[in-house]
Amino acid sequence: MKKNVAIKIKNVSAGYENEIVIENINCNIYDGDFFGIIGPNGGGKSTLLKIILGLLNPTEGSVRIYGQLPKTGRKNIGYVPQHSEHDKQYPISVWDVVLMGRRSIRGIHPLYSTDDKKATIEALKKVNMEKYKKRHISELSGGQRQRVFIARALVSNPKILLLDEPTASIDKDTQINFYNLLKELNKNVTIVLVTHDIGVISSYVTRVACLNHYLFTHDEKMITKEMLEATYSCPVDLIAHGIPHRVLDEHKQKKKS
Amino acid sequence: MDIFELLQFSFVQRMLIAGFLASIACGIIGTYVVVKRIVFISGGIAHSTFGGIGFAYYLQYTGVICIEPLIGAMIFALISAIIIGLPFIRKRLREDSTIGILWVVGMALGVLFLNMVDRSVIIVQDPVSILFGNVLLINMQDLYLMLGLVILILFITTLLYKDLQILTFDEEFARISGIKVDLLYLMLMILIALTTVVLIKVVGVILVIAMLTIPAAISNLFTHNLKNMMIFAIITGCIVTFCGSIISLNYNLPPGATIVVSLAFLFIVAILLKNLKQVIVKPVK
Repeated sequence: MKKNVAIKIKNVSAGYENEIVIENINCNIYDGDFFGIIGPNGGGKSTLLKIILGLLNPTEGSVRIYGQLPKTGRKNIGYVPQHSEHDKQYPISVWDVVLMGRRSIRGIHPLYSTDDKKATIEALKKVNMEKYKKRHISELSGGQRQRVFIARALVSNPKILLLDEPTASIDKDTQINFYNLLKELNKNVTIVLVTHDIGVISSYVTRVACLNHYLFTHDEKMITKEMLEATYSCPVDLIAHGIPHRVLDEHKQKKKS
Repeated sequence: MDIFELLQFSFVQRMLIAGFLASIACGIIGTYVVVKRIVFISGGIAHSTFGGIGFAYYLQYTGVICIEPLIGAMIFALISAIIIGLPFIRKRLREDSTIGILWVVGMALGVLFLNMVDRSVIIVQDPVSILFGNVLLINMQDLYLMLGLVILILFITTLLYKDLQILTFDEEFARISGIKVDLLYLMLMILIALTTVVLIKVVGVILVIAMLTIPAAISNLFTHNLKNMMIFAIITGCIVTFCGSIISLNYNLPPGATIVVSLAFLFIVAILLKNLKQVIVKPVK
């Protein structure tokens, strides 16, 4: 089966004045993927994300989202930013945070429509947070707040969900719940997840890439559980030296109980 | 004197209308200033207006052109707002350095200009009352200008409420959502500048920060909704400017100072009330 390319990254290099952060990145992310990008802090993960979102221009190469430039193609992306970056004291309810996600569709119009409100209820239902809609964001646990930001990303009905370090500062039990939610959502949207947490994502992603200045991706192929474990427990400096990383096949993958 | 007797005087009526207009402006814009944590940007803009007031008097004195001190203040406030808001400067200079420079240069220019004016030639408002406000000196022209600015502020913030909320909550998300963030940030700076002009006559150049910050901060203790926060801040502002003005008249004290001290007093009471509520509510849970 030939899969449709959702995000095409071609020969991308980027960086700041005297420093190249990522170099010659090539990668295709297909419709329906649960794509994990792992790598150490400072490896260029957030730079790559900014390029995909059209917030930063690459010095070389190009990114296309469904064939479009990031600035126009990003309407297909629902973005979930890093958990820690929000001001928890900001006076805003769960409902208003999610409604915010409709701005990209609604435009500069001063009011939100009934469609926007319907979409907000649906998005809250998808992440099981509808009964908290009146709560202030500071009255939620870390995991609940993360779900709210996923709802905000889903409310514009994107084809791709892009998550930046979603499990930082969430405890292990909540993380498992959280990944199960993502797996459920993956039935309808392509998921791209960026993290430095190598351990947890292993049993959920369908494809994986390692980013540390360069990006290491491999074609889909079967691997054994032992090899998988060896890969994910490999020290970060090995990733930097370019030890091959494998990509798992969705259907043969062994689930963790 | 009795409040009803006081209300017979037209200067008292003007004073109360001015307090009301100032409360609307600072309730709305002060809320954005507090939640976005840019109190000191507004401080920089406010202090730079002193230069503008001095400049206006200087122009009057030299006879080049006769502009109202409040118009001079507005020109300087807008220039400062644009300097702080320009993306070119935001990227190149540290924000707090820019604020500091505008803050002191504005004050210094004000002193220089006022010093060059010969006070036997034109009537100049006492510098102390420029700095600390004197709501008793408000004339009808000032009121019309304030009214115009408040209507403009209301109009812009109603149109851009949604976008300003996104900008102040999550700038990166605003950018991704297609909001022209640099332009909107500049607009927010301009709104702060206009609010500053509305406030100057009531509390003076130095005490503008108090009106921008304290009503919104009090309001934020009791609500977690941006719109309600604005409404409560406006009500708080109205009550306090009214009480502060009446106290100042009765005891012959400078009104800007009585308003600010009343605000601070209310803020402390509000914090105590809130904590008391928590102490009482918690054991029941």
